[in-house]
Amino acid sequence: MRLIRATLLACLVGSVFMAVNVATGDDIAERAHKLHFSSIVLDTHDDTTQRFFSKAGFDMAQRHTDGHIDIPRMRDGGMNAIFFSIWIDGRTMGPPAVQKAIDQIDAVHQMVRKDPKDLSFCHTAAEVREAHKQGKIAVLIGVEGGHMIGNDIRVLRTFGDLGVRYMTLSHFYNDEWADSSTDKPAHNGLTDFGKDIVREMNRQGIMVDISHVSDKTFYDALETSKAPLIASHSSCRALCDHVRDMSDDMIKALAAKGGVIQINYEKSFIDQAYKDAYDKASGGVVATMNNITKECGDDEECVITKVQAIQAAMEKSGQLPPVSWERIIDHIDHAVKLVGADHVGLGSDFDGATMPTGMEDCTKLPKITEALMRKGYGDDDIRKILGGNLLRVMEATEKVSKEMQSAH
Amino acid sequence: MKRAILASGLCGVTALMVAGAMKVDGISERAKKLHFSSIVVDTHDDTTQRFLDGKFELGPRDANGSIDIPRMKEGNLDAIFFSIWIPSKITGPEAVNRAMTQIDAVREQVAKHPKDLTLATTAADIRRAHKQGKIAALLGVEGGHMINSDLGVLRKYAALGVRYMTLTHSGNDEWADSSTDKAVHNGLSDFGKDVVREMNRLGMMVDISHVSDKTFYDALEVSKAPLIASHSSCRAICDAARNMTDQMIKDLGAKGGVIQINYHVGFLSQEFRDAEKANPEIEKAIQTEVNKRCGDNEACQLIEGDRIVHEYMNAGKLPKVDYTKIIEHIDHAVKLVGAEHVGLGSDFDGAVMPLGMEDASKLPKITEALLQKGYSESDIRKILGENTLRVMSEVERVSRESKSPGKK
Repeated sequence: MRLIRATLLACLVGSVFMAVNVATGDDIAERAHKLHFSSIVLDTHDDTTQRFFSKAGFDMAQRHTDGHIDIPRMRDGGMNAIFFSIWIDGRTMGPPAVQKAIDQIDAVHQMVRKDPKDLSFCHTAAEVREAHKQGKIAVLIGVEGGHMIGNDIRVLRTFGDLGVRYMTLSHFYNDEWADSSTDKPAHNGLTDFGKDIVREMNRQGIMVDISHVSDKTFYDALETSKAPLIASHSSCRALCDHVRDMSDDMIKALAAKGGVIQINYEKSFIDQAYKDAYDKASGGVVATMNNITKECGDDEECVITKVQAIQAAMEKSGQLPPVSWERIIDHIDHAVKLVGADHVGLGSDFDGATMPTGMEDCTKLPKITEALMRKGYGDDDIRKILGGNLLRVMEATEKVSKEMQSAH
Repeated sequence: MKRAILASGLCGVTALMVAGAMKVDGISERAKKLHFSSIVVDTHDDTTQRFLDGKFELGPRDANGSIDIPRMKEGNLDAIFFSIWIPSKITGPEAVNRAMTQIDAVREQVAKHPKDLTLATTAADIRRAHKQGKIAALLGVEGGHMINSDLGVLRKYAALGVRYMTLTHSGNDEWADSSTDKAVHNGLSDFGKDVVREMNRLGMMVDISHVSDKTFYDALEVSKAPLIASHSSCRAICDAARNMTDQMIKDLGAKGGVIQINYHVGFLSQEFRDAEKANPEIEKAIQTEVNKRCGDNEACQLIEGDRIVHEYMNAGKLPKVDYTKIIEHIDHAVKLVGAEHVGLGSDFDGAVMPLGMEDASKLPKITEALLQKGYSESDIRKILGENTLRVMSEVERVSRESKSPGKK
């Protein structure tokens, strides 16, 4: 008994000792800061694009008190590569979807044009590395939902020509050729045309993104694609049982083919208690989204604002428990233990989701590096998670594209 | 032959020498040498419509139509603007979507024939392609209705390689009056003027073929860069609203622009035009026959229309128009404004070609005819392509200057 007490005491003292060290700026904090701010920190999913359309006239160069992303805060958080998401509601289809997607792509291009000192539009991993060398933020584009190509492979190609570097096969609803994880299956995964789309994405060097898609669509895409896949913003179902997250088997299968899961910070995707309480309070994500889109029509910024407002109100009333940013680390660590540090990255969903406490915006990103270091992760592994893995998948995708085009 | 010998002075001697060196195909060695060492640019070809059914291939020699790689090589057509065209009545997102798919269709043809074709977006690209022995493929959008009143869409067309836009097609669009519709905007609307300014900034040539006279003058006043008429002829010779008056040609030339002569028989020959007008039943019969052969396949309509009119000409039911009419229009414009402001905009695969100019392989006849007329080699090179290259370079300069820092 005494012995035990003594040991316990020693442990306690030890912990206090460590805590003191942290508070005064210990070696790890310093090393983590250095590592973070010398790394390429790449986020594969940000919905900030919707704010470019805001009536107030959003200016990326100004620091904002709302939202999660702007240039000053990206500089503070050492975030130097970002995929802006092109997104419209999944029930807008055909030519109107194509036109709206083009407008959003243009909005990203125009934003880069306005601020050439800070931003650099990138098409390749090499360009991202070059932007980083020049101290610029690399801007990339991902299309979040196959419905935006208007069921037309030619539109997909022109998106590629305009610089789109990944496409999520579906969004919240099924599109014409792929089932979503949050809709009733209609295609049994990918249709034959959907498989053609995946092959054409390979040929064009557009990464195949399986966030949002049904499990069957994921496995179909995995089988069809010659290049590794990404989940641009999905977390681990083993820790939080949400259809938007990936099961351990899926993560393993993704990694076995060289892919990477980019952990989403959305509270209801990373915390089971929060997700359960949310479902209880709202009747589930599907019902909530249906109600919101009824109210907002096709105003995408309105949808995002409403989602966040509803969640905020429910949190305030105590219906929803708080979620700490450390859950993000849990998800990273779970995936790393499952498949190794080569297959995990960051896909925040900033400006498109509700962030956990402590990850209020992109200025908080250095905390991830420090937390991983404290967990004993090596510098190389941390760099991979921060961005290296995604760049590797981009390079592999580029290689497949070159091979397919030269085999013409 | 007799007529050439009878001609007096230097011209006669030249004609005699030319006649002496004449080959079986009617092209002298001198004309061949000149033609095949020149950069021959054609600013308007509707061949794109043929790409859309997925069956037509530019690679092999085709029995129909006017354009394919073998015939372009035979006629030394070095640079070709493929027209992106949909009827004026298609507007809104549908128009944008269809234009995107046509842009893709051209880009795909280029990608399929990397040994023969290369996509060009600058005058320097065309010169480089010429040196490499490749055909430069360029893109022109024939009608402002395809941007759906959206400068973002215009910018994406530019990003995809579009290097001119015709402000209207045969119907008015939302911001510009057409020459073949009732005036509703009194030329260019204020937004239409913004479109022209944005085209200047983007380095896209402003094309005033098809537009009303007032739209032409508005565009001339607004544009900082010279204009082109990508496929229009001279109204003084053939009184079609689609052609340009002498005054318009002078004003266009005074601002550095160029009129690219259209080979369509109905724009070349007053006699043909009058006969068509006098016999409306013939036009009706032709239309009926076209519809019978083609249904709503636009590529087929264009090519069969050409074929059927030829049948009527050969049967003596419509006046025979031969290719020397093209020379008449070139010569008229040159006499009016000099050789610096005239070029070639055939309308191949989109119009009824005169006898002797059935396809691109016949182009050396133009060089031969101009030599016979006593044109200098340097003037002929200008007409064949150098004038268009000059306007392109000028448009590129205006674009660069509007982008350079310090300029508003």
